[in-house]
Amino acid sequence: MSNLEKFSYDNKIVKMFAQATALWGVVGMLAGLWAALQLAFPALNFSVAEISFGRLRPLHTNAAIFAFVGNGIFMGVYYSLQRLLKARMFSDVLSAIHFWGWQLIIVSAALTLPFGFTTGKEYAELEWPIDIAITLVWVVFGINMFGTIIKRREQHLYVAIWFYIATWVTIAMLHIVNSMELPVHILKSYSAYAGVQDALVQWWYGHNAVAFFLTTPYLGLMYYFLPKAANRPVYSYKLSIIHFWALIFIYIWAGPHHLLYTSLPDWAQSLGMVFSIMLIAPSWGGMLNGLLTLRGAWDKVREDPVLKFMVAAITAYGMATFEGPLLSIKSVNAISHYTDWTVAHVHVGTLGWNGMLTFSVLYWLFPTMYQTKLYSTKLANWHFWISTLGVIFYCIPMYWAGWTQSLMWKEFTAEGFLKYPNFLETVTQLVPMYATRAFGGAIYLVGVFMMVYNLIKTAKAGKFVKDEEAEAPALAKETSHTGEYWHRWIERKPIQMLVFALVAVAIGGIIELIPMAMIDSNIPKISSVQPYTPLELEGRDIYIREGCYNCHSQMIRPFRSETERYGEYSKSGEFIYDHPFQWGSKRTGPDLHRVGSKYPDSWHFNHMIDPESISPGSIMPPYPWLAENMLDTKYTAAKIKTMRSLGVPYANGYEDIALDDLKKQSKTIAESLKKDNISGANIENTELVALIAYLQRLGTDIKVSHNQ
Amino acid sequence: MFKYILSTTSGDINWMALFALVTFFTIFMIAVFQIFFQKKEYSKYMSDLPLK
Repeated sequence: MSNLEKFSYDNKIVKMFAQATALWGVVGMLAGLWAALQLAFPALNFSVAEISFGRLRPLHTNAAIFAFVGNGIFMGVYYSLQRLLKARMFSDVLSAIHFWGWQLIIVSAALTLPFGFTTGKEYAELEWPIDIAITLVWVVFGINMFGTIIKRREQHLYVAIWFYIATWVTIAMLHIVNSMELPVHILKSYSAYAGVQDALVQWWYGHNAVAFFLTTPYLGLMYYFLPKAANRPVYSYKLSIIHFWALIFIYIWAGPHHLLYTSLPDWAQSLGMVFSIMLIAPSWGGMLNGLLTLRGAWDKVREDPVLKFMVAAITAYGMATFEGPLLSIKSVNAISHYTDWTVAHVHVGTLGWNGMLTFSVLYWLFPTMYQTKLYSTKLANWHFWISTLGVIFYCIPMYWAGWTQSLMWKEFTAEGFLKYPNFLETVTQLVPMYATRAFGGAIYLVGVFMMVYNLIKTAKAGKFVKDEEAEAPALAKETSHTGEYWHRWIERKPIQMLVFALVAVAIGGIIELIPMAMIDSNIPKISSVQPYTPLELEGRDIYIREGCYNCHSQMIRPFRSETERYGEYSKSGEFIYDHPFQWGSKRTGPDLHRVGSKYPDSWHFNHMIDPESISPGSIMPPYPWLAENMLDTKYTAAKIKTMRSLGVPYANGYEDIALDDLKKQSKTIAESLKKDNISGANIENTELVALIAYLQRLGTDIKVSHNQ
Repeated sequence: MFKYILSTTSGDINWMALFALVTFFTIFMIAVFQIFFQKKEYSKYMSDLPLK
């Protein structure tokens, strides 16, 4: 053709993201393995603050999600977008800013989370300056992506690109809304929302981080790389349209299924449950579209590790998206929530779907970009089987642990008493399962090392093509398309696609979030609920810093098994000054919402320094540094002012006398400790006294009785 | 189930839930209708895009 244009694809940026994916995959999984080992062998906490479980677990989740999968997304998007649009990326400079900006964010996370700088909101722990950096880098990515779409040589946008657009716009919306926080100083902020509202916004974000970071971009990668690897077109393009619109519309509603039976209003819980059940239809539509793409090519699956990984990944996606709706049914959730069942479910998705799809894309990309064969197909096949075994050894013990926990928590004797009233009894049962899980994680990680070796050898054997030459006709000038179907129209128009996708995902968010914020009756006020004292507020910040929410919930559900064990069920009005909420999502340890006044101060003091001395067999890490560190009150006044700006009714000028109140209360606690023979120089000024003040306040705003 | 959800909502937000349901149903039905009448050649062209 005479109007052929010559251009080149930028492979260098793809290679950079691919290398980062492998590197952060190893780092993120190492952190996860270490955290898993700590639960089986608590001595591995080494009594060192920076590597204790509560700080390590957020490092693992952030590294696995945003560093490993994040770089994996960008690797796949930068490769496929250029080919599908027949155009080089819009700007090499923006590509480089995107890459280095994202790595800088990851390094910032690695430097702040172990030191306890956290917002205390799961999967959104990074503090406000990093949140701003994420926003800026995301905008750079968006400009680069839409710039490429605009200068494309292919008129129609393939389904993978719709998923990329939906990912970009939805993550932008989720990140901005959930990261609304008021800074106290450069590395400390409070969530703009409180209690129930904060919980709803957080899980609207948290669930959709799974949906739009771990799922939709990877579906885009599936729709591109699976046909590529199998060398046959997607099974049904028609199904992909239905899959896309139904999935993005329904997914956004499902967040409240993380809050079933909590203090969240019933209507919001029901919406979350109904839409979660509906979600099975588009999810399985996508899975079937993927698997059926291999029709007639199953013989290749036997030989090709790339296809093997893809089939296993898509199957894991199918299993996880079947189980997700199941876990969202209220009666099932009553059993599964707070247990290791959720951990098993999540890892079927991450190890199976995200991990294996990433491996398949890496195995496909390296030989392609280095113009050679994979160094060792045999080693890749071994990687496949060891990964599969890793997932099995990880997930089965976690399912078993989850069911064990749930059964033991809920079992009553014939006389009507809890059969296992001591929570610790239910924990010690799980240690062998935690050890087996760590073994599963370890062999999965061994597989990753095998892959890294294989990829390095492949790269050494081949010659990297930095700029891949290509040619394609220029995009024809648009002519009239009168009478065409509406979807063909938006398939040519990226901005329309973006707007339609935004409308689809915004509807769910608006319907769920706005009534919660606007209608007072959703959160009945309780007159006895008062703001935290300055010492309690400081103690709460230490609770957040140490990541206590990773193992302890603060939400007693209205079940007899819970009210018998913990006390009166939690009311939404009790959390109205909680910026951020600390309901947690897992009970590795017991719920703490009614722990206030349950034990003497000395019990908490000894328990925090050495949990095993109070609870033999406990797997909780020791926190000796809390008794050594002096409480930093430099920002106490600023914290009071910030809280007042967020609507907490501290009197004007209270910040000027807050320190006096703080000292009085810490002295009272020190005296109570002294009565139990715990004393020391400056003991009243330690962080531990502040934490005790907070723990003793928990759940005491309303009259409660302790059943234990 | 939907009747239950809508009856337990407080204030005047019923219209929002109804609006969402109707919007989803409408878009879904239009998409189904559209792909039902889609030309085969166009479908084939789109699904072949990654292989070109």
